[in-house]
Amino acid sequence: MIAAQDRKLALSNIGVAYTAFLLGTLCGLLQVFIRNDAIQLPAWLDYYQILTAHGVLLALIFTTFFIFGFFVTGMSKSLGNFGPKVRLVSWIGFWVTVIGTVLATAMIVSGEASVLYTFYAPLKASGWYYVGLALFVVGTWISSFALVSHYMVWRKTNKGQLSPLFAFMTITTIILWLIACLGVVATVLFQYIPWTFGWVDTIDVELSRSLFWYFGHPLVYFWLLPAYMAWYVIVPKLVGTTVFSDSLARLSFVLFILFSIPVGFHHQLTEPGISNFWKFLQVMLTFMVIIPSLMTAFSMFATFETAGRKNGGKGLFGWFTKLPWKDIRFTSIFVAMAFFIPGGAGGIINASFQLNEVVHNTLWVVGHFHITVGTPVAMTFMGLTFWLIPYLTGRKFTKAMQKLGFVQIVTWSVGMLMMSTAQHVLGLLGAPRRTAFSSYNNHASTLEWFDGIISSHVTMAIGGSILFLSAMLLIYIVVMTMFLSPKAVKEKDMVEFPMAESGKASTPKFLENWWIWIGIAFALIFIAYAIPLGDMIQHAPPGAEGLKTW
Amino acid sequence: MAKYNEAPEADLKGTLICVFLVGLVIVVMWVAAYLMYTAR
Repeated sequence: MIAAQDRKLALSNIGVAYTAFLLGTLCGLLQVFIRNDAIQLPAWLDYYQILTAHGVLLALIFTTFFIFGFFVTGMSKSLGNFGPKVRLVSWIGFWVTVIGTVLATAMIVSGEASVLYTFYAPLKASGWYYVGLALFVVGTWISSFALVSHYMVWRKTNKGQLSPLFAFMTITTIILWLIACLGVVATVLFQYIPWTFGWVDTIDVELSRSLFWYFGHPLVYFWLLPAYMAWYVIVPKLVGTTVFSDSLARLSFVLFILFSIPVGFHHQLTEPGISNFWKFLQVMLTFMVIIPSLMTAFSMFATFETAGRKNGGKGLFGWFTKLPWKDIRFTSIFVAMAFFIPGGAGGIINASFQLNEVVHNTLWVVGHFHITVGTPVAMTFMGLTFWLIPYLTGRKFTKAMQKLGFVQIVTWSVGMLMMSTAQHVLGLLGAPRRTAFSSYNNHASTLEWFDGIISSHVTMAIGGSILFLSAMLLIYIVVMTMFLSPKAVKEKDMVEFPMAESGKASTPKFLENWWIWIGIAFALIFIAYAIPLGDMIQHAPPGAEGLKTW
Repeated sequence: MAKYNEAPEADLKGTLICVFLVGLVIVVMWVAAYLMYTAR
């Protein structure tokens, strides 16, 4: 068991995460009914207000706080308890992040920041919204530095040794996060804040969008890598084996540092201000991310097959039936992985240059987001929640909670399957994203969006409602395991941190030479971004004044 | 010829097929989107 102070820190992060989850999913429920024309919001509440809140609270706040809760627990477990300085800096980071969150959320709730999760200029929120976002990022940096310094202390006392796999992966994710944030910090500090507080009159829209997506794509990997950590480090323990290959796991993680950042233009393929050459280069670099993703898929299947065969599985697929399906900690993550197969395939379509024309700005993208972040990442976090909170609180994860966990995971899967399938199909039929309900003067194409079983906004609303029900079940489980479940007194009732062993004997040492990977990452970023960003600045069009469309 | 005491190789035939199936899903979805693109 890790130190009580570290547990408190981790639980505080997880508590904020699930508060954001509660509010964010409520906004999601309202959205699907508005898109279905089933309800109308009161005059004081705007669709774009709840759309912004949904995106920010779930994609940014829930994920980030949960990730730091997971990191704190795992780093304390794998490297030893935090020292007083690390703990103090972690708390400072936590509170700065909370203050940023509260400020940004207050601006959204008060109707001063309905600029959606991507906050594209020239949509202009209150300057305090961007100050809130800046504080949020600074807070995460402070928390990151605390974790890095904890790691550095371990390295000093264990000279020449490779760090435990969990710590290695945490540091990889943090490096990715720190490099990625440079883009959003640059645009918020030097473009949005001066513009929104009236220090300058206009903003360079193309530059701001490019800096946002320099951050926006690796942000996806900031969500995904902690889920991969669970897949690589936790899942083998749950299925009764060790990490399939320590070297493969580490190599796939460092490849994500290299290839997840210089790729932001694949989100801007329809924008006229970037030449095709640079778009094409970044599309190619995007495809490189497929390599570590498929390495992960291979590693997972190999882990399952090894464990299943060890448990008596025979034949080509007999091992599949020998996996611990009755263990909700495993089943939840397995389902999350399964969702990532079509999710990842959809991502390749999105990034395929001309093919992007078919799906860009349609509901397809929303569906894609929900079967990537909304399920593989979110459901992996749910699978972690089932043991992480009882581990931290010292409470039982009772049989009743385990059964409820299955109901929660099944309902989330069914709801997501209905909603995201409808979104994908509607997107292919041309239904737009980022818009409230509109009948477009009862155009024939628009009316099609309410027909059929799969290709209907009604299906989307039913799926969204099931998802909300599932979210409330999860909140119930979180509250119970955090505050109300009986304390685990007997050893058999105590919940453990399931961390698999990882053989490091044949792992090359250079995999943990961070300067190599950071150096290559910056070289690739320079190649992919220096000239196009330089062009944007040198040949900047007249800036845009702000718009407040709500 | 020297004899080595090597650990038996793990049987990963199922893994190989599963990875191919993942690849197939990717290819089928991509081609479907491509055909839609060319048809429009």
